[in-house]
Amino acid sequence: MTEKFEFTDKIKKPLIYMMLAGLLGLVAVFFLHPENHHARFWTNLLTNAYFFSGIALFGLFVVAATQLAYGGWQTLLKRVFISMSAWVRVGGTLLVLILVAGLLDIHPLYDHAKHIVHEGAGIPKYSTKIIYFGSIFWVSRVVAYAVLWFFFSVSFDKFFAQADQTNPATYKKSKLWAAAFIVVFAVTESAVSWDMIMSLDPHWFSTLFGWYNFASYGCAAWAMSILLVLFLKSQGYLAQVNENHIHDLGKFLFGFSIFWTYLWFSQFMLQWYANIPEDTNFWVKRFNEPYFKVTIFGALIINFLFPLFFLIRREAKRNFRMISFGAVLLIFGHYVDFFNYTSVEPNWNSAKHGHHAGGHEGNAALTEKGEIVLFAEAKEHTGNHTATDVATTQDAHAVEATHGEHGAAEHHVADAPNNFAGIGLAEILVFIGFLGAFLFMFFMNLAKRNLVPENDPYLKEAQRHHVTWA
Amino acid sequence: MANNKFIVGLWDHEEVYLHAIEHIRHKGITIYDSLTPFPVHGLDEALGLRDTRLHTAGFMFGATGTTLALTFMSWVMTTNYPIDFGGKPYWPLPSFIPITFEMTVLFAAWGMTLTYLVRNKLWPGRVPRIFDTRTTDDRFALIFEADKLSDSELNEIKSLCTAEGAVEVKDKTFAEGE
Repeated sequence: MTEKFEFTDKIKKPLIYMMLAGLLGLVAVFFLHPENHHARFWTNLLTNAYFFSGIALFGLFVVAATQLAYGGWQTLLKRVFISMSAWVRVGGTLLVLILVAGLLDIHPLYDHAKHIVHEGAGIPKYSTKIIYFGSIFWVSRVVAYAVLWFFFSVSFDKFFAQADQTNPATYKKSKLWAAAFIVVFAVTESAVSWDMIMSLDPHWFSTLFGWYNFASYGCAAWAMSILLVLFLKSQGYLAQVNENHIHDLGKFLFGFSIFWTYLWFSQFMLQWYANIPEDTNFWVKRFNEPYFKVTIFGALIINFLFPLFFLIRREAKRNFRMISFGAVLLIFGHYVDFFNYTSVEPNWNSAKHGHHAGGHEGNAALTEKGEIVLFAEAKEHTGNHTATDVATTQDAHAVEATHGEHGAAEHHVADAPNNFAGIGLAEILVFIGFLGAFLFMFFMNLAKRNLVPENDPYLKEAQRHHVTWA
Repeated sequence: MANNKFIVGLWDHEEVYLHAIEHIRHKGITIYDSLTPFPVHGLDEALGLRDTRLHTAGFMFGATGTTLALTFMSWVMTTNYPIDFGGKPYWPLPSFIPITFEMTVLFAAWGMTLTYLVRNKLWPGRVPRIFDTRTTDDRFALIFEADKLSDSELNEIKSLCTAEGAVEVKDKTFAEGE
């Protein structure tokens, strides 16, 4: 009865090849794209480390949330979700390293934030940002998240494998663990999205960014769990898991896709409607670049329209082939979603203009009198496209100001905005490499203990799980 | 009213009840209805019911709402009464989305509710047919139509119910208009 997963060479080998492919991709992108201090290399690292950490963390969240909600159906899959979180032990460390490298001027990803700290003193609207982006405070925050994730990942792994799960005292304790993690998760997942992703463009705000990230890697995590469970089933494990469990995972995948769309649209529409230059600039930078226009609306089609018309059907969620296809597509879609967030600012036109050519400084200068001098250098490079962007809006004053400062002479073709990031072979290889590492950690952790928590009080409920019509 | 005479078989355990349904259907006897105090897992499959088409109807209603909202707002904003709102385009699609969403939900919700009520004949003033009051308490009932059956067939159904573990089998006749 006690079923244990065996991490055989047959599974291990492809994963090692995947990791080697990723390493090859990293080396290739490092040497082939030296623009802007190898920004594309670091962008790749950040996107994947963050994306897979999110997926891993979401595994713990599912366990904690279902434990608190008296869920029973997921008991057979508990070990799968907990093992998914094994990656945060590496991913959290990677995030810390990426941030430290950025603050040590090894790469330019966080230069906009550093710029505020170094040169924003005395400007009222930057007074709190200077504190928030202070190197020590910033790094210690991310270290704290990484340590907390590590701790909970290891603790959940140990706690839910205990033999005396039916003991009322242990059961009560499991609720405490779950509740504690929900609180930690809520704070850290929001804060890490601000610290690692939103800080790439520190002038841009989105008050629902933490939620948005949660929904995005949430989708990817449900999709990943479906694929992992189906893989384990195909290897002869988890025989008790049937289409009813997959159906429920599919329902969550569908629900989170709609939830993601809701947040995507809420974030977009408010900024489109309010048309505040600092917010609008974030979108203008992406929409002015045909490549990112395609990836943004492509991601919207894959992550919203596809699940809406495909996953809504009961048959699609109960058929293993169809749900696997959907899961693969959604993992790709949400990778593209994060790619859209991380790849624009560090790679934006910087090869020609140095680090601070983000474009938002131009706007900041327009709105804050004291900054015209402060960010004069940056503005010179960015003024032109800022002007054209804002020209489509009602911000007539801003347009006047920019044109007045720089004149029409700046509008020459060579200065047209461009971007040297894209989803090329390197991105695909690095993604495959990270996927291999994620799966390696997953299988290693899964092989450590029994596949099914035998003594879980809810095990019977999961074994007899049945999804009726409705 | 066509059907006024029925046979009602009552069970007191869902497992026995589910098996009884399978055996009775296997004998080729048509079950008119089944009443249980709570949703019984596996009952739909045992009765051989097909998937409800209510959600398909819901999708259609929703799509109607989406189309109606989008076309109406587009017509108003581009043709009927175009106004410059804060420098936005005359066809500001993003600002249509929330209303389109609301209309989709409204149409789907009302459409599904009304379809459900009409299909189940639950309009106001309807006198419900109550086969046995204990089906809302602790009895699982199977209803068979008795109008067109001969006495021997009726007796066969009754004895089959008893053999399959029914705790009570009775005739139920409704008055005209009930």
